[in-house]
Amino acid sequence: MNSIRKINMKKLILPLIMLGMPGLLNAATAATELEGGFKIGPAIILITILCVFVMVGVIFRAKDTTDFYAAGRSISRTGSGMAIASNWMSAASFLGMAALMYGSGYHGLAYVVGWTGGYVLLLILMAGQIRKYGKYTAADFIGDRYYSQSLRATGAIIAILISISYCVGQFAGIGLMFQWILGLDFTWSVIIGGAVVLTYTLISGMLGVTKNMQIQYIIIIVSFLIPLFILTFKFDYFWVLPQIGYGSVVSDITNGIPAASELMNSMGHEFAITASPEYSMPWDIATGKTFFQWMAIAFSLMIGTAGLPHVIQRFYVVPKASDARWSVVWGLFFICILYWSAPVYSAFGKILSASPEVGKLSKDAIVVYTAQLGNVHPLIVGLLAAGGVSAAFSTVSGLLVAGASAFSHDLYVKVINPEASPSKQLRMARLGTVLMAIIVTMIAMLKLALISQLVAVAFSLAGCTIFPLFLLGIWWSGSNRQGAIAGLIAGGFISLLSISYFVCDKMGISLPFSEFMTYYLGAWYFAWIGAPLAILVNILVSKITPETPIEIRKFLIEKVHS
Amino acid sequence: MNNENNYHISFFKPTTDRAKYNRNMVIWLIGIWTVAIFGFHILLRVIEKPTPEPQLIAFNEVWENVKSNNASNDEIKTFANSALHVAGKVFINTEHRAALDNGISWATMQLADSSQKVALTSAIANFETATENAQAITDANYIQAKKELGALSIAVLGLNPDEVLAKILSLELRSSGIEKITDENISIIETCMPHYTIHNRSVLTDTKFLGFPFHYFYSAVFLLILFIGLCWLYCYRVDKYNEKIGIAD
Repeated sequence: MNSIRKINMKKLILPLIMLGMPGLLNAATAATELEGGFKIGPAIILITILCVFVMVGVIFRAKDTTDFYAAGRSISRTGSGMAIASNWMSAASFLGMAALMYGSGYHGLAYVVGWTGGYVLLLILMAGQIRKYGKYTAADFIGDRYYSQSLRATGAIIAILISISYCVGQFAGIGLMFQWILGLDFTWSVIIGGAVVLTYTLISGMLGVTKNMQIQYIIIIVSFLIPLFILTFKFDYFWVLPQIGYGSVVSDITNGIPAASELMNSMGHEFAITASPEYSMPWDIATGKTFFQWMAIAFSLMIGTAGLPHVIQRFYVVPKASDARWSVVWGLFFICILYWSAPVYSAFGKILSASPEVGKLSKDAIVVYTAQLGNVHPLIVGLLAAGGVSAAFSTVSGLLVAGASAFSHDLYVKVINPEASPSKQLRMARLGTVLMAIIVTMIAMLKLALISQLVAVAFSLAGCTIFPLFLLGIWWSGSNRQGAIAGLIAGGFISLLSISYFVCDKMGISLPFSEFMTYYLGAWYFAWIGAPLAILVNILVSKITPETPIEIRKFLIEKVHS
Repeated sequence: MNNENNYHISFFKPTTDRAKYNRNMVIWLIGIWTVAIFGFHILLRVIEKPTPEPQLIAFNEVWENVKSNNASNDEIKTFANSALHVAGKVFINTEHRAALDNGISWATMQLADSSQKVALTSAIANFETATENAQAITDANYIQAKKELGALSIAVLGLNPDEVLAKILSLELRSSGIEKITDENISIIETCMPHYTIHNRSVLTDTKFLGFPFHYFYSAVFLLILFIGLCWLYCYRVDKYNEKIGIAD
């Protein structure tokens, strides 16, 4: 059956690629502009990739609710690892990571460390146990473990909020890349991109999404790596392993490169830069970032990683707990390939855009600009941009499924209508997906903040709310409903406080102690205090309130820790 | 196990050998993880020293004289070089760059003789007009005006045409800044020079490893390898232990 599917897929995909090739070749030079204009070569690559996504979604479409939520629990360790990586490698990783280092040097590495180090926590504290618990969604776990329908509903709402916050960043990335490739208005770019990702998520559910994610991972990583080999080769660095070869680029930025060589960027500027140690030195004053912020961001992102519903949900799609564990190892390895590579773009980007004549470039698109300034072939730049869209798509699809699951499974079926038939459940899941996509599109069109900023808010929110509930729920049977509610209130309060200050600051409204609050409770890292506080409050309240019911404790011992 | 009190799970008080094994392994792994990330960065913070770039030292030596208009030509040249070095930096703020441009323009004009002054004033004005009218930096008038200004100005400052500072000099000259450095810009220059030229350095940042500054390699490459290693080790040991005691998932 699988081989027939593969053959059918080839039959569908190959003609599309063949149709696109002449256009690609003829239009190669149209992609050389840094800004503006419709770039036909990259556009054809992007459209081809999107067609592949939709077809894969159709071929592997969900047949029932088990397929929709958990892909029939039939995905292999490596496959699930690739799906984890693809799901994880969003526009924030693909575009935003290099943007952060381009904009703030060593400070950006706090995000690299935070977004990878969290997987260690996720694995050793949660992955296997979550799979053994055997629930579909994060809210399912919270509702069952803390024997509370209201906590289930709250968990579902938080999961939806996190998914929306995360999705908005991705839609912004999609908008940016569509704008670059198609020369469209940002608003239309977001609407078109959102419509496509919604279409195949609706058709396929998670089974199709998981298959898509494996394909997306390949596209993302190949499109990301090819320009790196070209850049390091062209500019005479160790190109066999650019992830190591760029060490000399970082040192060259630190010490300066004289304008003596014949190497040029695409605008005719020498490959040269004045000595700029601020790029590589830790928490340099010139970047405006501090030691505290580095530590707080790294910690918050790590805690947030272990609390993100759409990441946690991936463990439900593997057959066994050991598969869940190994899928994290594979997932982290696949993620690290991209994370080792992202700083290369920022380092080359810094030198290639060092001349004031290049002007101010959009940081979120620096990956693409670097390839362009480095004279990489326009079609490869097009593939890179399509990879950026693919990264955003892969994450959005997972987030929409997680959000839809929270809406239909945790809110509708478990709280509103427990008698709902499987077909009704599937309809509600699809309705949830549509609603989420519409809300996200509307917020994304407001252009509230940078991609990585919006995404980092989701991490801190997850770290303050979901992470403490999972951590204590799995590892301490003493944590009870009252403790969970109190902890959630504490974590939620810190989150609300930080986000309120952030929003007011954006709107120009001055609140008391604004400077203090925005520094110590920054919207990207408020979990550094929110998560420990939520855990502490949960423990204290649990200690002074009635014990967790025996059935829950039995379940934890006999099923989760057996 | 029939007693209700036996149904308790606590990470720190494991009741079975397997749970004890898991707890010890988790504590070890989290310990390594914590020290590797936070321990290293605390160490980096503790041993670092604010270290000025040579340009700041040179700037500090001449600044008082430049500010009070008593500087010799060599001192003005030193000031211009330092300011130009900072203006070409990768994280320069727009307001700071404008102030530095004022300083560089003034210094260049101070160093020029009377014939050079006339030519420079005209070249700067031409270049500003060409910049305003140019659609792209490939515009022929723009390129010509930049070339003329560049040739004049680098001769005045005595720069080598091949060095980076010479390449950016013409882009930093402003006709509005040639007469004097405004009081506001004097204050900005004083603040921004140390801002861009003092860095937190230590043996960990100055040691090279595989071409990287060591601390950069550690965070950007090594920590990620360590994370994968810790995850692999955990999975491997859990599987081995489960196999040993005959537990299957």
